[in-house]
Amino acid sequence: MRSTLLTQITTNLTGSSVKVSSELPFENSGNPLYIKNKKRFYLDEEDIATETLYKTVDGTQIDQTTTTIEGYLCVDAKNPLTDIGTIISNLISAKSSIANTVEADCEYSTEIEGDDLTYIFEYSFVTVS
Amino acid sequence: MAGVINVTSSNQAILTLGNTAPLAVPGVTNGLVIPLVQDVTVSASPGTVRYSTLDSTSSSAFTTTNENEISFNMLLDDDVFFGLTNTDNEVANVGLLSTSIAKTEIFFSVAFEGTDSGDYYVSGKGFIGGLAPTASMDQAVWISPGTIIVNGELTKSTVS
Repeated sequence: MRSTLLTQITTNLTGSSVKVSSELPFENSGNPLYIKNKKRFYLDEEDIATETLYKTVDGTQIDQTTTTIEGYLCVDAKNPLTDIGTIISNLISAKSSIANTVEADCEYSTEIEGDDLTYIFEYSFVTVS
Repeated sequence: MAGVINVTSSNQAILTLGNTAPLAVPGVTNGLVIPLVQDVTVSASPGTVRYSTLDSTSSSAFTTTNENEISFNMLLDDDVFFGLTNTDNEVANVGLLSTSIAKTEIFFSVAFEGTDSGDYYVSGKGFIGGLAPTASMDQAVWISPGTIIVNGELTKSTVS
């Protein structure tokens, strides 16, 4: 699911002022990579939660799985990107690349620390199997 | 827990249908086992009439005929609901929906303890009704209630 989403995000952001990294947003010398490498979008690993939707007397179990993936983009707060609106819109619309979902959501929040303006995206996908 | 019939082993509560009584016995070859059943209810209700008399402060009652019904909820299995070629069991051949539409009388059994020798089951004959398949994005799978309107009495038996 992460690789599909990452591929779509890379496609959606082609030609924008933001690049997409395939690396995980791990910390390097105490700083997350997205702080160090500004204007570069990082997609984290998947968090998966599964709960039982239906159980039957013959032992069949239908599960509902919620997969959550966070993405990070840090820019210079003093010099906002001129195309940030389009970038955010394209990052949100990338959620439609995941097929066979009951729900596909994306919401984002921002954090400012010093000169760093960080956009934190949370993708959430619900599937039933 | 002595005497409690535990169904957690997934092979004890079994609803089996057939176009003949032998095909509806639990565990029989070519019996149509309804899969993905969420719950099954065997309802055996004697009809009653109440009446009052001047010499009593409580009402009295007498019984009339029994009204029996099997009701269940299931996740839909396409082969069972719409039919899968079966030259021995016509209910399996045409599926639950077509059997209900045709108002064909079927035979059934509800196994309480599985299909081992000596296990109890309830059987009878009747008509499939109450099918109402529904699906939505909130539940994301087809589910349907169903009933068997029993024609006649329920019979208690054990697997031979």
